[in-house]
Amino acid sequence: MKGSRFHISRVGAWLITSLTVLIALAWVFPLCWGVISSLKPEDEVVRPYIELWPQTLTFDHYYTALTNSLIGLWYINSLVTAVGVTSITIFSSMLCGYAISQLNFPGRRYLYMLILACFMVPTQTLIINHFILMANMHLLNTWLGMILPQLVYYPVVIIVYKQFFDGVPKEFREAALMDNASEWRIFYRVYMPMNWGITTALAIVVFIWTWNNFLWPFLAATQNETMTVPVGITQVYNAFGVYIARRLAAAVLAALPVVLLYLFFQRQVTQAITLSAGIKG
Amino acid sequence: MSDIKLSNVSKTFGTVSVIDDLTLTVHSGEFLVLLGPSGSGKTTILRMIAGLETIDKGTLEIGGHRCESLPPGQRQVAMVFQNYALYPHMSVSGNMAFGLENIGLGKAEIAARIAAAAKLLEMTSLLERYPAQLSGGQRQRVAIGRAIVKQPKAFLFDEPLSNLDAALRVRTRVELAQLHQRLKSTVVYVTHDQTEAMTLADRVVVLNNRHVEQIGTPMEIYHRPATRFVAGFVGSPAMNFIQVKTKLNGKKIGIVAPSGKWIALPGASNIKGDVELGIRPESINIVDRDADATGQVKIIERLGERTLLHVQLDKGPLIIVQDSGLSKLNINSPVKLKFNVSQISLFGPDGKSSLRSAASK
Amino acid sequence: MISKAFKSYWFPLVLIVPFLAIYGLIFIYPTISMFVLSFTDAPLIGSGNFVGLSNYARLFHDPRLLVALWNTAYFVILSVIPGAAVALLIALAVQRLSGRLQAAVMALFFLPFIVPVSVVYLIWDWILNYQFGIGMHWLDALGIPRVPVFKTVTWFMPAVAIITIWWTCGFSLLVFLAGLRAIPAEIYEAAALDNASRWTTFRRITWPLLWPVTALVLTIQLILQLKIFDQVYLFSTGGRPNDTVVMVQYIFQMAFQDDHGGRAAAVAVTLFLIVIVVTLVEFQLLRLAGGAPKK
Repeated sequence: MKGSRFHISRVGAWLITSLTVLIALAWVFPLCWGVISSLKPEDEVVRPYIELWPQTLTFDHYYTALTNSLIGLWYINSLVTAVGVTSITIFSSMLCGYAISQLNFPGRRYLYMLILACFMVPTQTLIINHFILMANMHLLNTWLGMILPQLVYYPVVIIVYKQFFDGVPKEFREAALMDNASEWRIFYRVYMPMNWGITTALAIVVFIWTWNNFLWPFLAATQNETMTVPVGITQVYNAFGVYIARRLAAAVLAALPVVLLYLFFQRQVTQAITLSAGIKG
Repeated sequence: MSDIKLSNVSKTFGTVSVIDDLTLTVHSGEFLVLLGPSGSGKTTILRMIAGLETIDKGTLEIGGHRCESLPPGQRQVAMVFQNYALYPHMSVSGNMAFGLENIGLGKAEIAARIAAAAKLLEMTSLLERYPAQLSGGQRQRVAIGRAIVKQPKAFLFDEPLSNLDAALRVRTRVELAQLHQRLKSTVVYVTHDQTEAMTLADRVVVLNNRHVEQIGTPMEIYHRPATRFVAGFVGSPAMNFIQVKTKLNGKKIGIVAPSGKWIALPGASNIKGDVELGIRPESINIVDRDADATGQVKIIERLGERTLLHVQLDKGPLIIVQDSGLSKLNINSPVKLKFNVSQISLFGPDGKSSLRSAASK
Repeated sequence: MISKAFKSYWFPLVLIVPFLAIYGLIFIYPTISMFVLSFTDAPLIGSGNFVGLSNYARLFHDPRLLVALWNTAYFVILSVIPGAAVALLIALAVQRLSGRLQAAVMALFFLPFIVPVSVVYLIWDWILNYQFGIGMHWLDALGIPRVPVFKTVTWFMPAVAIITIWWTCGFSLLVFLAGLRAIPAEIYEAAALDNASRWTTFRRITWPLLWPVTALVLTIQLILQLKIFDQVYLFSTGGRPNDTVVMVQYIFQMAFQDDHGGRAAAVAVTLFLIVIVVTLVEFQLLRLAGGAPKK
């Protein structure tokens, strides 16, 4: 018995589904392997054969990573930086996006075109001058110096907000005008409360992205103490040397916060990314 | 309650004139309906009164105060939007309170007004709910409540019934009429539905393509339409139009009916040549002899209390004739028709009526 | 007159000032100073003398620049189109699933994207570790001689490209999924009634309707990979950094390791212009090819 040319047979469908699941599991395997390896004692890790599960499960490496390195400091730096970038970006983008969408002022179109144009600009090329600027302002190795150049990702967020506010029916604004609300009240009490969902989504995505950022924190932190987590774990060899399992444990610790954030807020992350891609280009 | 006076009001979008030299007065306590198809300008006029569109030339007076340059909230008018525009994140009472908070009323006063409006509209139990939890009809009531608590000088309605299903629309129409009687408010109401206009209005302004075709009471625009547009737009089923020629018989003026008969039209003046005769289905009688027109029944619509016959005239177009509910006619039956002369309208080539039918009331 | 304008527009002004201030500081000003710097011979920190276009002239004779350009182009070729193809295939497979299973499978494919690049580096450096990496054992099983992947020039880029595809697939996957979901089910039903085979359906219905999304993914990936730095830099530690250098890395080396601020700025400007030109050209090409991405 053959299925029709369009519908593959039941068996075929089941096969493809299983294949998809298998590939998905294989896809995530490298991450699992990293975790597994970090739970093995160092001598087990470097055996000439492969063991898929630790013979001796040990959390020692995590303990060492947490106590013998500056990872605590790095965590704080990462946290402050990520929170700083996220809050500044979200706050000013929301205001700007609202202004472009709802308010009338001269130069409005030019501002929007300016923001769109900034999309195309490769921000990595600005690293030299960011460094010089931060150095001249004596902000290297400070939180502010870490935060400021990472704000170049404004354009996407502003445009997402603008499109969101564009999508709100004009009648709300008109009703509020007839309700004698001032411009500030219209924003604060009518439009802003409507966008908590999208704000949460954007905030989480910006946070994750900032946490993971490598290039600028790498340049801005010339001392070990001021590094962020992703930079620290690759740059500071002395703490780990050739201790592979220990390095992997540090890697897991580095990734853990954002992975947890994603797993909790999977829906929001997905939403934010599809929104931001929907508007690019 | 106040009156609203628009005097020589004009509005342009760029170089396109959208409203040209409009003068219109809404009397205090009157229910005025702006009726017309999409694009006729009715919503623009409403929004100009509200302040949501600018008035480029001319003046607007509300209750004697000049308002054309005042911002929307300060004209003391309240608007009920087509899609209600209820703030989704505020409760019903929050929605109603918002406008009052913005002008600085005290909490006690606000609560009192909300309670009174809720009682009037029978929605006291809904006060703590959120718009998403309400049905369409309930949301509309909240929108009206929000307008009432402002104690405005006039109410502006922008097609408020168009989002309701048919049965709800009829019920709500009745409620709106009752509300108007109780509050004796000045109302400007925009709609494209001529049934709403006929049943709710004290006066109707019929608009087409951004100018005023006729202003009058519902009966006036129904029985004495000033232009062909009004005649065809108001009334369902629509008025029949038949091309006829005028003819003098001695000193009397009249027209030649499709059957060849000459019909005297006293009261006609200045008509010449070809005109269009307008007659409503209910003003045509089915007779045995002395017909003004003859034809054959092509389609029958039996509605129960009346029957609509689509008759193909022998010397004329397809027209609709109303017969009793128990009409015995069938498809392809021949019919003889007589026009009720007092109900005839005549329209010249410019579309304007050159004869008002003698029907009074 | 100005004060009157100010009075009526003070509110929007307040709203956009935070953005403008920050953006002026970290975007407009550095861009301008980058251009200015490229005309000097300054070191990284400190001032230098105006040298006109000589930095740019030097670029024409700079062999390392050519290497960087080639490596960047090579990397782009290896990662953009294959990456989009892989993401599309996975999207087609995932789209067939539904409910919890689909959400779970999506999460699995997306998870690598959440992980910071340095974690990706540490894990894959370990997997492809010449002596003990599990990747080497797979090569053994396939009978292929072991290769110290990141220390050879031949295998460096392909390996980094494949790892990058693995890492960033989740993003393109999401976008493709959204695009596929936007195609109404009825169209597929109509195709079935029209007796279309799977391949015909894909080629004549899915692909054309999905084209704007595909173009979008290609554009985003292209722009992103032209600016690649992180993984290339990390994986080239202990390897052959001069042979596997990419453009941004070259800028980094020249500015931060060789301390030639002005010359590095010239390279930066070059990359800046290349990216803009490539973006514009690619945008036009895609639009001509049939359906520009939505704006």
